[in-house]
Amino acid sequence: MDQLTEVREFLKKLLASKGDKQPFTDASSLFISGRLASVDAVELVVLLENKFGIDFADIGFEESQIDTIEAIQSLVQAAKSPQ
Amino acid sequence: MSVIAAQPEQFGPQAAERLANFRLIPRIDTYPRVVAFAQTPLGKIVVLALFGVGLHYAKASWWPLIPWLLLITLLPERRRILVTVATLFFTFMLPLYSLPQSLYDMIFSASAIGLGAILFWAASVWPRSWYGKRPVLFLLTGYTAFILLATRIPSASSYRVHVWQFATVLSTYVWFIGYSLLDRKSPSCDPLRLQLGVYRPFWGSTQTPLPKGAAYLRRIEARDPEQLAVVQLKGLKLLLWSILISLFSQLFNRCVHDFFGVPSFTRALAISTGHSPLPWYMCWATLIAGFFEAIFYVSIYGHRFVAICRMAGFNALRNTYRPLSSRTVAEFFNRYYFYFKELLVDFFFYPVFLRYFKKSGKLRLVAAIFAAACFGNAYYHFFRDLDFIQKLGVMRALAGYQVSLFYCAVLAAAISISNLRRRDPAPKGFLRGQLWPSMCVGFFYCLLFVFSGTEQRIYPLTVHFRFFLRLFNLNW
Repeated sequence: MDQLTEVREFLKKLLASKGDKQPFTDASSLFISGRLASVDAVELVVLLENKFGIDFADIGFEESQIDTIEAIQSLVQAAKSPQ
Repeated sequence: MSVIAAQPEQFGPQAAERLANFRLIPRIDTYPRVVAFAQTPLGKIVVLALFGVGLHYAKASWWPLIPWLLLITLLPERRRILVTVATLFFTFMLPLYSLPQSLYDMIFSASAIGLGAILFWAASVWPRSWYGKRPVLFLLTGYTAFILLATRIPSASSYRVHVWQFATVLSTYVWFIGYSLLDRKSPSCDPLRLQLGVYRPFWGSTQTPLPKGAAYLRRIEARDPEQLAVVQLKGLKLLLWSILISLFSQLFNRCVHDFFGVPSFTRALAISTGHSPLPWYMCWATLIAGFFEAIFYVSIYGHRFVAICRMAGFNALRNTYRPLSSRTVAEFFNRYYFYFKELLVDFFFYPVFLRYFKKSGKLRLVAAIFAAACFGNAYYHFFRDLDFIQKLGVMRALAGYQVSLFYCAVLAAAISISNLRRRDPAPKGFLRGQLWPSMCVGFFYCLLFVFSGTEQRIYPLTVHFRFFLRLFNLNW
């Protein structure tokens, strides 16, 4: 199973809870397009911290890092790779 | 831009769908033929000409804008650098029409921009230094210290007026510089020459950067001719929407104030300090009218700035987007003045949320919300309105700021509660799922407007509370 399946499911639920029924792919912009707000980013940040051990205080944070599933994938890979 | 004129539940599904899809301004940006035409040379000129007519009608100075927009449209590969040149032109060349005072201001503008450039450069050169790690903290601390020191200059000193003039100009740039410093950490950070394009960009802005900084522009820039055509058509639509709201606002003002004789909220507050306060229903009328006028005002100028930004090829989100349809307090805050909320989130919320109270989820969230909506909000407005600090000094200015502090604390508490409540699925049906929650949120913000409806800071908190109680026919 893809390691980001849980993230995808989480985002799908988040979008659905906001009444967003538009299609959602790995390349879909979530925050810059305005589909999700900063408050939603917070929930995603907590999920990524807990699941992948990413510490945004160390690496710095901007919404483009979590704007798409593809961007999240890159972020997770970068976090796992040795410094 | 949809108009909900009745409850869809009363209609069949098709009628409700038609109603939901109805647009006062047609969605021309989704019409393939219009988008194709807008990509042709003639189409570009037509769109820009219509935009110029719109700006003229909106009483905005269209003549210096349109040539720059035309240039940016014709040279999309040079868009970002042209934005910088246009911004510098609007900052330094256009004010030459109003010499000699503007020359004096321009020296301070150049100094503020120069300061921003030095800070950006220093953060790039020494990224591992104490300053390089926390450049925004350094900027805001330094700015605060500068204002506090300025209050210590004796009134008789000849330097005082110049220092305060520089402080006033710097206050208009401080958040723009801040966004540059935030961008510096990004791997794809823009060079200084592009950062300067968003230091009070030529499409207009308040002290809140619209739309944010260079990092945001990078992400929302049109990548091909089709995207540019769509974005420009959306800009044209938004300008038209701004004009329509402006016309409606004028009609609303005449109807409410001239025809029905409802006083302005500021006037009603003044009356409430006397021996014969307004009747409770008139207090409600002034409050509701003032609340709507505030929404109209922020929508009109926000839409205009974003519309011009879109014409320059940047697909910026609207500053105000259907705030009255918000179903939660937090959602209203997001929709009412989006870029101010983003400023608070970027400069205050995330720094706290990402660093502190990581073990305690709720405390972490509440602390970050209070850092942004309470502290950040209060800090922004206190150091934005420098006149009060200059005239009264810091302590008396703070004392006069009590109403705003109360407002910020209540707002932060309400947003915290709104976010902590479990994310239940919205109840079905228009009445229970949309109308009722929206009305509750609108009612809350309308009541809160009692403490934010005037920026004159004349009256103490007790006067605002007296007005609040008067709404419920209670006298104090």
